[in-house]
Amino acid sequence: MDKKFFLAILLLALPRPAPADSQWILEESTLTYHASHPLHQTEGVSHAAKGKGVCHAGQCDFLIAVSVKSFDSGDSNRDLHMLQVVRGGQFPLITVRTHLPEDAGALATIPADLEVQFAGQTVQYKQIAFQHVTKGSEALITGTIPLTLTDFKIDPPTLLALPVKNEIPVRVEMKWRSQ
Amino acid sequence: MNLRAAKGAVAFCINILLLSASHPAVAQAPNTSLSGAITSATGAAVPNAKITIKNLASGQTSETQTDSSGHYNASNLTPGDYELAVVAEGYSTNTLKVTVISGSPKTADVTLAGVLSLQDLGISSDQAQGTAQDQARLNKRSHILMLHQRLGLIAAVPLVATVATSFGAGGRSTSTGDRWAHLVLGSAAGDLYFMSAYFAIRAPRIPGTQTRGQIRVHKALAWIHGPGMILTPILGAIAFDQKSKGEKVHGIASAHGPVAIVTAAAYGAAIVSVSFKF
Repeated sequence: MDKKFFLAILLLALPRPAPADSQWILEESTLTYHASHPLHQTEGVSHAAKGKGVCHAGQCDFLIAVSVKSFDSGDSNRDLHMLQVVRGGQFPLITVRTHLPEDAGALATIPADLEVQFAGQTVQYKQIAFQHVTKGSEALITGTIPLTLTDFKIDPPTLLALPVKNEIPVRVEMKWRSQ
Repeated sequence: MNLRAAKGAVAFCINILLLSASHPAVAQAPNTSLSGAITSATGAAVPNAKITIKNLASGQTSETQTDSSGHYNASNLTPGDYELAVVAEGYSTNTLKVTVISGSPKTADVTLAGVLSLQDLGISSDQAQGTAQDQARLNKRSHILMLHQRLGLIAAVPLVATVATSFGAGGRSTSTGDRWAHLVLGSAAGDLYFMSAYFAIRAPRIPGTQTRGQIRVHKALAWIHGPGMILTPILGAIAFDQKSKGEKVHGIASAHGPVAIVTAAAYGAAIVSVSFKF
């Protein structure tokens, strides 16, 4: 009894090991932008995003990058016009950085502050809600980033002299795997 | 002291009292300072990190940066709530809120977690960086195609008018006025058409792109209305000559009407194919 008691005290007294470093890799992604014009609605889809997350001492840092050219709206002329309007020739990538506490993985809805670099501009988006589902060592993340053309100083493209709407929400669906 | 001097002294004192009452002395809260250390996740100091300090009540911002040991100091801050944004090259931006209390210097240390770069994602610096020349080519393409679009839309107006005047110009009509109007409108339509076509052909190609979607229909229709816009005026000139001689339009010239209708229909379909989504 005394031995067990002292052993228990000893185990409790031992310092807990710090959370081990871990990494997350973006396995699959679907990014969809939605542009509204009086004559029609357009969606452009990309599956080409690359992403990585590094966790250290209970804090995680994520970086996601996707090529502007990879977005496909189904019409090459429209995609090239989009590429020109968003200055994709000079700034070919969209990058998103975020910093989360590691225990955010336990939440069903993760509020994230995003730093988005696009069209040569950097814009912060605060408290963007992402739905989170864990499946084994994989995490499925979905959400919508409320991008606007004015945020990134993009002149709205026009068709038949009518401009598209300023709001260009980007729907994000990602599958992350823990390493 | 005589009465007059005493009255003056009392008036002076009353004035002093009144002035004091209207401008009561207000105790000012002394300003204070905010300082701290910026470190990476490994504990290393982060020099030259830019810190933006924003007073949440007034919206005023001030900036400072860390020294070689990663320390920063912002003095003379009025008490209140502030938001700090820490930016350092190679690190994610980190923000935090602090409350600064009068007469009590505040310490706020920030850890910039992790350093992820595009190279960590397998993206080379070439892939990450575009060129001004690439953007200039895209800009030129868009500008030229905008001219093509506008001229093409403008050309549709005399084209429709030409078709409308064809009923008075051909058939059994003997009106020379209608015939001339048809000819002038047709010429104007043709001039605008070929100007529009010139810009479409001259628009720069973007290497590595494939033609996909409704634009393929638009380009394919050009193989109908392009030759049609050449053939129609040729046949029209023959028909015009026959009518001018008082003859009935005959022979190959009788194809002028059908060729013109097919050309106009293909032209209209080309406009619709890039204006609406099917």
